Amino acid sequence: MALLEVHGLTRHFGGVSAVSDLSFSVNEGEILGLIGPNGAGKTTVFNLVTGFIRPLAGAIRLDGQSVVGLRPHAVARRGIARTFQIVKPFPGLSALENVTLAAFLRHPARRDAEAAATAQLTRVGLGGRLNEIASRLTLMDQKRLEMAKALATRPRLLLLDEPMGGLNATEVDDASDLVRQIRASGVTVVLVEHVMKAIMRISDRVVVMNQGEKIAEGHPKRVVEEPAVLAAYFGKRVA
Amino acid sequence: METFAQSLVSGVLTGALYAMIGIGLTVVFGVMRIINLAHGEMVMLGMFGAFWGQKLWKLDPFVSLLVWTPLMFVAGVLLYRLLLRKIIPGGELNTLLYTAGLSLLVANLALLAWTGDYRTISLSYGVTVRPFGIAIAVPLAIAFVLAILITVTLGLFLSRTNLGRAIRATSQNPEASVLMGIDVERVAMVTFGLGTALAGAAGVLLAPSLYLYPTVGELLIVKCFVIVVLGGLGSVPGAIAGGILLGVVESLGAVYVSGAYKDGIGFVLFLAVLLYRPSGLFGAGR
Amino acid sequence: MKRRHLPALLGVAVLIAIPLSIRNSFFLHVCILILMWTVLGAAWNVLGGFAGQVSFGHAALFAVGAYTTIILYLKGGLAPWWGIPLGGLAAALVSVPIGLLCFRLRGPYFALATLAVAEIVKLVALNWESVTAGSVGYLITTLPSVRLFGLSVNWEAKTPFYAAAVALAVVALLTTGWLRNSRLGAYLVAIRENEDAAEAVGIDTVRAKVVTLALSAFLAGMGGGFYAFYFRYVDPDAVAGIGLSMEMVFIAVVGGLGTVGGPLIGAVFLTAVAELVRDRFQMGHLIFYGLFMMLVIRFMPEGIWGRVRRLTAGATAGA
Ligand SMILES: Nc1ncnc2c1ncn2[C@@H]1O[C@H](COP(=O)(O)OP(=O)(O)O)[C@@H](O)[C@H]1O
Ligand SMILES: [Mg+2]
Repeated sequence: MALLEVHGLTRHFGGVSAVSDLSFSVNEGEILGLIGPNGAGKTTVFNLVTGFIRPLAGAIRLDGQSVVGLRPHAVARRGIARTFQIVKPFPGLSALENVTLAAFLRHPARRDAEAAATAQLTRVGLGGRLNEIASRLTLMDQKRLEMAKALATRPRLLLLDEPMGGLNATEVDDASDLVRQIRASGVTVVLVEHVMKAIMRISDRVVVMNQGEKIAEGHPKRVVEEPAVLAAYFGKRVA
Repeated sequence: METFAQSLVSGVLTGALYAMIGIGLTVVFGVMRIINLAHGEMVMLGMFGAFWGQKLWKLDPFVSLLVWTPLMFVAGVLLYRLLLRKIIPGGELNTLLYTAGLSLLVANLALLAWTGDYRTISLSYGVTVRPFGIAIAVPLAIAFVLAILITVTLGLFLSRTNLGRAIRATSQNPEASVLMGIDVERVAMVTFGLGTALAGAAGVLLAPSLYLYPTVGELLIVKCFVIVVLGGLGSVPGAIAGGILLGVVESLGAVYVSGAYKDGIGFVLFLAVLLYRPSGLFGAGR
Repeated sequence: MKRRHLPALLGVAVLIAIPLSIRNSFFLHVCILILMWTVLGAAWNVLGGFAGQVSFGHAALFAVGAYTTIILYLKGGLAPWWGIPLGGLAAALVSVPIGLLCFRLRGPYFALATLAVAEIVKLVALNWESVTAGSVGYLITTLPSVRLFGLSVNWEAKTPFYAAAVALAVVALLTTGWLRNSRLGAYLVAIRENEDAAEAVGIDTVRAKVVTLALSAFLAGMGGGFYAFYFRYVDPDAVAGIGLSMEMVFIAVVGGLGTVGGPLIGAVFLTAVAELVRDRFQMGHLIFYGLFMMLVIRFMPEGIWGRVRRLTAGATAGA
């Protein structure tokens, strides 16, 4: 059985249908790329899965259990963590405090939480900046912080919303390695990303969205050659 | 039936003035995302302006509009330039608390200067006429007409001039307006001036119809919140509808809801809207 | 004994020494007021300072406490030491549904909702005459005769009230101190910093806020109960006005949002201003409250206590 199953997911905003009748599943242990042009509805999918927004219709199941209607904190407790496309640190707190707050979810004692937070910060490469105030970190480091926070909740499923946006080539490679290593540690990953190089290299499977709908699914190399996908990205008419 | 028509008419008349106060608050919120808790005091200053204008210079309150509106505009601009501009970057809660302080300061300075006495303005034409058997106080009717004139002028300004369009653009999408090359700082300044001027003008117009006393702002600001929340914070048409709705609800409530809970209708409505339709009764919903 | 407990111990020693050494009853009265305001400032600060949830309606919670306490005493003969905590409890109970409703809103919207709730509570106090005695209110004419350690308590002296006020203030400050170091306190800071991010990492923000509001209400309600006995008079204007809510805000902001000691400093400040100005002109103190609030937010948003702490921390770190 798939770890995450999404079926018939639908959500409109006023007249805009951000996600409509979307179905896909994520298998345990894979890296699934979720791609599509700007405004395709990818972030909305994350918001729906994590309970920040309620769907108008559709089912979302983690390990066969519905998470629809749960508030975000409860979804996090079930084991789904996310990062935000526009990073949302606790700006006035240090990197360590930021991640400790997330680690409290699994470690009620402060000492344990801090230890776990330090470990995650080191893992994402912020081991040397534990006491830096979050708002003073560079964008790159804030994205790392975002990831450390998500990891500190010890998720089974990690949703990454454009973790590489705005990074340079070496940084993208580092980030790709990190995502692989996260998967190797037993966490399933859904990756929303515009950096195609990274998507092609690290995802096992890709789901392509356009205007709220799924237009293609499959192996990354093959999917990008599908006419519907090319049309969505380059605006060509589909025959 | 006659009582109903009567309360409906007086509700609409007062409601138009409420709407004006609400518009001032709502445009400021739209552009700057701040709620000015001192807005009621701006209305109060307008009321006292009308009062002293008549008392000291024999100035007709409605004529004094020509003096006080521009003055309040300037006061608003200065307030923004000298004080608020430094506070706003500190976050919306800081700004809220700051304007709370300002409201205390202004109201109580006024109390010190003018004492807490209730005052009224009497006009030679302060009579009541009865067309179709409905009693209408002439000063309120004049105020109503002027309020509509001012609101229409404002509407034209917002839709026809570059500055007005810039204000609306900023209100709809602050980030994009920066990209479009709008001088957000100037827009904010003018908007705050406008908001203050509207409050002051509404005060002048209300002065002949209400008791005036220095802490009247406390009462007005709460009404004002009700209005803008009913209409959706940031929406000018919403504030107009909200103002008139509140005016009518209050005056019907005074007749049909017996007992002392009638003041509560507004609040209950307010809470209900805030909770269930935060974008206002007429907005797009959640 | 850890070094950081030293100031607190010193403070308690001073508090005990005051009534023993100074017999001036006006001075004691001022001390009582300061302690009462400390409790109220701390109550507001727990929610507004730690969790960043600005309430303009805390007078409503104070009023629930004041009414509960005075009604229990006048109709049920319940002594202050039962009545005051029960007042706090009543306020906490009332605060739960209020919180569940209002916390659906954020930031300034929440602030507006609290304002409306407070106005509704005041209207209820004015109009539910069978319970609240309407605008007439309640008056305590005689306090119970009580013997403590074999001596009968002299209510005409200020000392018993002083002792009670010290107890309440200590409870309020200990609660705040505990909160600062607790996990709940950390959650509240997270909520203040970014509510979405807090939810995303598994913090039940609504629960944290509702619990904190209840705690805050408990303190405010006990403050109200104390007020009822000390001033022996409760009516809607005295205990449910927006002015009272603003005074609580003032104390917390001026003292230092989210600090433990701030409310005490804010309370000293507020009481000093009120007592110095009141004789010259009535209501004049409110001018200064407004002015100081603006100045503090402009020039030291961390408040007096926050600034002092930062400066002393800098000095010790530099040394
Ligand atoms: N909270 C919201 N309110 C209104 N419209 C929204 C909201 N969130 C997303 N949308 C709209 O839904 C569509 C999909 O947006 P999004 O999910 O952010 O796309 P993507 O992440 O793929 O770029 C867009 O048209 C966007 O404007
Ligand atoms: Mg997106």
